[in-house]
Amino acid sequence: MAKSSNMTSRSKALVRRETRSAWLFLLPNMIFFVGFVVIPMILCIYTSFFDSTMGKDAQDTFIGFQNYVELWKDPIFVRSLKNTFVIVIVSVPVVCVFSLWVAALIYKMKGPVLSTFRCVFYLPVVTGSVAVTVVWKWMYNNYYGIFNYVGKGLGLIDNNINWLGDERFALWCIILILLTTSVGQPIVLYVSALGNVDVSLVEASEVDGATHLQQFWKIKWPLIMPTTLYILVITTINSFQCFALIQLLTSGGPNHSTDTVMYYIYYSAFKLYRYGYGNAMGVVLAIFIALLSAVQFKLAKEK
Amino acid sequence: MKKTVKKVLALGLSLIMVLSLAACGSKGSDEPAQTQETQETQEEQAPAEPAAEETEPAAEEEAAGGDLSASITLWTYPIGNWGDSATVESLIASFNAAYPGVTVTVEYLDYTNGDDQVNTAIEGGQAPDIVMEGPERLVANWGARGLMVDLSDLFATEAGGEIYESVEKACKGSDGKYYEYPLCMVAHCMAINQTMFEAADAMQYIDAENHTWTTDDFFKAVQAVYDSGQQNVGAIYCSGQGGDQGTRAIINNLYSSTFTNADHTAYTANTPENIKALEALYAQDGINFDASINGGEEITLFRNGTLAMAFCWNAAQQTNSDNAPAGQTNNGDTILPMLFPSDDGKTELCGGIWGFGIFDNGDQAKIDAAKAFIDFICNDPGQVKESVKASTYFPVRPTLTGIYDGTEIADTMNTFSAYFMPSMGDYYQVVPGWAEARTEWWNMLQRIGTGGDVATEVETFDTNANAAISAAN
Repeated sequence: MAKSSNMTSRSKALVRRETRSAWLFLLPNMIFFVGFVVIPMILCIYTSFFDSTMGKDAQDTFIGFQNYVELWKDPIFVRSLKNTFVIVIVSVPVVCVFSLWVAALIYKMKGPVLSTFRCVFYLPVVTGSVAVTVVWKWMYNNYYGIFNYVGKGLGLIDNNINWLGDERFALWCIILILLTTSVGQPIVLYVSALGNVDVSLVEASEVDGATHLQQFWKIKWPLIMPTTLYILVITTINSFQCFALIQLLTSGGPNHSTDTVMYYIYYSAFKLYRYGYGNAMGVVLAIFIALLSAVQFKLAKEK
Repeated sequence: MKKTVKKVLALGLSLIMVLSLAACGSKGSDEPAQTQETQETQEEQAPAEPAAEETEPAAEEEAAGGDLSASITLWTYPIGNWGDSATVESLIASFNAAYPGVTVTVEYLDYTNGDDQVNTAIEGGQAPDIVMEGPERLVANWGARGLMVDLSDLFATEAGGEIYESVEKACKGSDGKYYEYPLCMVAHCMAINQTMFEAADAMQYIDAENHTWTTDDFFKAVQAVYDSGQQNVGAIYCSGQGGDQGTRAIINNLYSSTFTNADHTAYTANTPENIKALEALYAQDGINFDASINGGEEITLFRNGTLAMAFCWNAAQQTNSDNAPAGQTNNGDTILPMLFPSDDGKTELCGGIWGFGIFDNGDQAKIDAAKAFIDFICNDPGQVKESVKASTYFPVRPTLTGIYDGTEIADTMNTFSAYFMPSMGDYYQVVPGWAEARTEWWNMLQRIGTGGDVATEVETFDTNANAAISAAN
């Protein structure tokens, strides 16, 4: 009995020691996480209830939900939200499907060829967004861009199209760039996930007479579902937060046709100094992302 | 249970990621500029260039400077060579010869991200001691928010008393305090590709000697150049605020209208004259309302021969020799600077005034050192000419003459002094709500460019811009 009690107290001490070590290892990251994520998050929510602005003698006035009410009466915010949803609704499925398709084509290739494809698709991800943007801006150029050059050369268009200066095309141009910079990571993840699918399961299904399509839907797709879920969530968040491309290419124009919530947050907070209003937008955006992520988790769980 | 925990954790993380971004501000704004937006708006009534030669003897700065001891920071926008580290270091070396106890650390800003950098520093309690820019920011923005030091004592000096009255007025806030001490100024104009105009036989519509043309002749010239095969003659650029004074100037001058009232208390762009100008420009062959470019990009297109005229121009552009000899396009065509066309022969140019402001960081020693720096750079008889020359613009005092004598750009600068500086108009960029109003301006141009009814769009601009004044007050 005494021996058993001794063992229990020793194992408790061991657990305590391990727990303490774990916390100590976590501490540096926790400090940064709390300092640069949790506290700003709390400040963001807090400030969204104030009429906060810049100024030496500026007093933040508590205005309750007034910023939130104003949001829904602000046509620019509503349009920004709509544009943001268009970006998300288009880019998330396209990124997932395209990257899965590419990954399915290349994951069985031999080392160097596979690496080459990985590099090609990952290059836009690791290239600075400014450099990428400059190249795309040149391609879209109204006067000497390659799209107009090729389009006219092939007889597809009669006159130059002002891709970024025309409301009908600008948002789609942004989405196209977003796609090229978004597919790299999902492709690498899918290549890895598909490579990890148990070959014996696939072979067994072959023996049972399963077609390639059946193998994919019945065996591979369920096994790579966690990867798909991760890609969906990350791509959704990235699409919701589309900002740099807008700032560098269109500044939200023409006529707010490429305004996104993230850009409008920036504009309200940094150009108009409406910090409270900008933070309210941030909270609303976060709620939308959380809701959409929840839906994605729910659907993935049902699968 | 585990899945629920994971789900909650993942949702929490996604929430946190967005909120932290919103709270911390956008990291995307840290990326460098892709355009050269050196044409920020400003204004001022244009004094004719200098008359009398400055005769003040060199000041004995050493005695006074020896007592000061502080470490200060200077943040400067790219105002001519004030964005060039070698030039600025040389100016600081001159200052340090007189004030050895003051250390000046410089940070170079650009017009794309500079405001964000300054604003972030202000919010973080790390505002620079001195910032170099124009009244639009120093007076109407940071000064109006009570962040700047009153520089009235600098205006009370002998040199300060010589500053053109209109420039002095632009440096004064609505509370009567001075938040900028000016160093230099320029009148923003337009330019044409003379070679293209000659080929199109359009020079007949231009008074090349006086750099003027009438509204009717402007449209005739544009049509002639267009008919000669130049599809893109000019662009009403409107992708953003960069160089937006050029679009306001062409529109306001064509039929002699205004942008604000004289008191700077209301936007007055909604006039039949401005509407007529916009309708005429929209209907004119060869003039594109282009929402994909800003002023800096328009200059690039003009320099590479894509456009035959630029509405965003000034003396610094005319003397620029980065890609081609000064006064020529990249392929060697001659560039002729022009006043904006007007129907009454009285062009009013938007101008730029640049100088220094001091952030009130609560340290009197630093404020004193900052004032000493400004006084030395702007007022010291042995230094001020070099300081102005570094800006590549013009002095703000009539007694400062011969700045560019003996330099390669002397002839060009004399031309600008004689034909352009006297046409500087009202400096209206200090109107409250300016940030919203200028955004409304280029948004209005975008809507007109995509077929919006001109009268309706101008009225919308007027309503929104004036609402911004009310909100700011």
